[in-house]
Amino acid sequence: MRDVVIVGVGMTRFGKFLERSLPDLGREAIWKAVGDANIPPKDIQIAYVANSIGYQLTELKGTIGQHVLAAAGFFGIPIINVENACSSGSTALRSACLEVASGNFDVALALGVEKLFCDNTARSSEAMASGTPYAKFGFMFPALYSMNLKKWMEKYGITQRQFAKVAVKNSKNGALNPNAQFRKPLSIDDVLNSRVIAYPLTLYMCSTMGDGAAAAIVCTRDKARKYTTKPLVEVAACELVSGTVTIPNQPHEPLEARAARLAYQKAGVGPEDVDVAEVHDGMAPAELMLYEELGLCREGEGGRMIDEGLTEITGKIPVNPSGGLAAKGHPVGATGLAQIAEIVWQLRGEAGERQVNDPKVGLTENAGGWVIDDNAACAVTILKK
Amino acid sequence: MTKPSNSDPAPDKLQILVQEGLFYQPQSPKEKPYLIGSRCSLCGYVSFPKLMVCPCCVQINTMEEMHITGKGKIDTFSVCYAALPGFQAPSIQGYINLEEGARIWSLITGVEPSDESLKIGMDVELVIGKLREDAEGNEIISYQFKPVKTDRKG
Ligand SMILES: [Zn+2]
Repeated sequence: MRDVVIVGVGMTRFGKFLERSLPDLGREAIWKAVGDANIPPKDIQIAYVANSIGYQLTELKGTIGQHVLAAAGFFGIPIINVENACSSGSTALRSACLEVASGNFDVALALGVEKLFCDNTARSSEAMASGTPYAKFGFMFPALYSMNLKKWMEKYGITQRQFAKVAVKNSKNGALNPNAQFRKPLSIDDVLNSRVIAYPLTLYMCSTMGDGAAAAIVCTRDKARKYTTKPLVEVAACELVSGTVTIPNQPHEPLEARAARLAYQKAGVGPEDVDVAEVHDGMAPAELMLYEELGLCREGEGGRMIDEGLTEITGKIPVNPSGGLAAKGHPVGATGLAQIAEIVWQLRGEAGERQVNDPKVGLTENAGGWVIDDNAACAVTILKK
Repeated sequence: MTKPSNSDPAPDKLQILVQEGLFYQPQSPKEKPYLIGSRCSLCGYVSFPKLMVCPCCVQINTMEEMHITGKGKIDTFSVCYAALPGFQAPSIQGYINLEEGARIWSLITGVEPSDESLKIGMDVELVIGKLREDAEGNEIISYQFKPVKTDRKG
């Protein structure tokens, strides 16, 4: 297999854009990535396009990738549509990387694009819940999270206030990010006093609807050097797993931990080498659990990480410097590639006011969907300068 | 899909099962409801809903249909103040450890939706009844669990 590097990234601002279409959002992200890579557009040989909910909420009922690429001026190349719920974006990146690593093509595009806002909010909510067949029974993700969290809080003495601190940190980071949907820093009281969704979750701990697109162009190291003088970011691992069922009286490794273990192995690094991470905080407390599942701290130490500020932009291992899903926004299919864009900017030293101190290794974690009693998919990607 | 009802159906309103093949709705007070699950004849793994292939053994023809009597204990629960369009909020959502060995998700009904109404480990039983009404006023019928009434006060 050949080394694969990211030569260009781009994203739209995330937000509510009623007047913009999927092709319009996708075109902006693609051309920003093309500009960032300084690449002749015709050198792109294949495209993987992630979208999760466009089929339900927009007029495009199929081949969304081809429609989006057409709007950006790309015709004739192979285009593959990718759907893996919230982890669609990372799944597209993984496939694009494999095209290059295998020698099949030298230059590949991964795009994530999503439009969740429409003129009927109820229709948007229903579409977002449609990733599981359980919605018709009244199944709610926040309640599920809440149940897991209550057990975890009891086991390790974690408090609701510590969860609120995650939302506060991420809102502060989002305020520094011009691409973020929400740019207002929140206080602990703002978070704790916002509407209860399902204890310990409050409104400001939860991500909400968003529109947007993000893209990455990957290629071989040799090709990349011809296009750009910017630091090259290597995709050292991009590992994808599905969930498992819990078997009574048998240990169950969380799929995030399993994906991370595979990624560390492939990249030849350990959690102690990670200098910056973007993780899937669909609900703020998930970030604390992920510190442990990704090995960034020991079991039961998630609360201490946030109390001591270790995951702040200025901390020892900054997590979600972009603002994460709650502040930056969560346009489902675009989220994974927006995480990648943030880590690329961080590793190149281009992250502006939210730049962390000289990172060499970055990680993203991107999970989504629900099947029986586990997430449907999870991808962990490790990028190296 | 209509079913005759043992409660009082509103005139010209239908009772619609949320999903076929998931549970049995009693047709008279003498009958008891049950969930339609499956059990692996090799390893004993119990699933609800029914699975055709056991996730532990991964062999064909080991799963047998099983009627789950619907007695269990609350493993964990949460009062949820958000709901999808057409559903009531707040609701109580939980996981039930069934006597037969499976752990399943369910709405919990029959008590005020508050954290004080329930306790982890509390005995619950299956009820088949109205989950919600659809836009036409038809009753959507689903499975839920409710605390078992005991003689003890408090
Ligand atoms: Zn079996």
